[in-house]
Amino acid sequence: MASSLPPLQPAEVEARLRARFGDDILEVQDQFGHPAVSVAPSRYRELALFVRDEPDFAMDYYDFGAGVDFGDDGLEMVTHLYSTKHNHHVRLKVRCGVVDPTCPTLSDIYAGANWHEREAGEMFGLTFEGHPQPVKLLLAEEFEGHPLRKDFPLMSREAKPWPGAPEGEDDEE
Amino acid sequence: MGLIENGPIPRVKPVKFLLNWGRRYSLWVMNFGLACCAIELIATSTSKHDFIRLGAIPVAHGPRQADLLLVAGTLTDKMAPALKRVYDQMPEPKYVISFGSCSNCGGPYWDSYSVTKGVDQILPVDVYVPGCPPRPEALLHGIIKLQEKIKGEDISEKWSGKLTAPPAAS
Repeated sequence: MASSLPPLQPAEVEARLRARFGDDILEVQDQFGHPAVSVAPSRYRELALFVRDEPDFAMDYYDFGAGVDFGDDGLEMVTHLYSTKHNHHVRLKVRCGVVDPTCPTLSDIYAGANWHEREAGEMFGLTFEGHPQPVKLLLAEEFEGHPLRKDFPLMSREAKPWPGAPEGEDDEE
Repeated sequence: MGLIENGPIPRVKPVKFLLNWGRRYSLWVMNFGLACCAIELIATSTSKHDFIRLGAIPVAHGPRQADLLLVAGTLTDKMAPALKRVYDQMPEPKYVISFGSCSNCGGPYWDSYSVTKGVDQILPVDVYVPGCPPRPEALLHGIIKLQEKIKGEDISEKWSGKLTAPPAAS
């Protein structure tokens, strides 16, 4: 397939986003050739709309979204967008806070975000503001807690420690 | 039903033999494939291993026509009510084979937050087939073991439902 433009390089992505969003772009990292853009929560939706509609970006595919638990530094929502037109990727990162973490929803911008946000919501306890169906996706309805958080206890391991650690690495925790 | 449950006929040795012989060589299988073990289960039913030659008939039309529930794969807590419902719909006499480590005890997911640690937590299991996944030969062996169990069975006891877990309350 012939694309009208070559893929944008991370440095170009950073330049264009900083020109438009200024200091609300907190950090842009080059991760394995993909730009990972940390953005202020207040302009997260605006940024997603911008990279979707801007012809040079044309991020038309919501690849995945997931939470990340940084412990005392709070939770982060990572959104991976892809352009089928230009064959380039952009990752958006938004910090959601420690207590009662919330994040704006993208599910009205990308339909594919709906289920990913429901999963991140149940697994990490993130609340997505404006999500049309904020209920559990994969876990049983009666499940309590957020199992992918670092502080979630695995009850089986409380009774019996994980036996898979190599010799000499038992003291790590 | 009355004759079978209470009458003397099934205790007459040739009748008992004939009934058990017929039952153990026409096991309609309710296929409850949940994960990769289901692929081995399907392989067992196809021409190379061919469990039909042992009288196990794959793909019953529904749980109400099935004799044998074959649970193959990882049962999660969310799926567990569906499995229990299928089991409850099966008529007596019914049997359960638990196929693979996950359905036996949780297997590699022994410390998971969402996996049921063994289907025997919600329904009685007749034969456990170990392995991750077990080879088709292991399932053939499991079916033969089940048939040996049926061979020696007291039909009135089996049909009474006393050996079966009570249906779910809801």
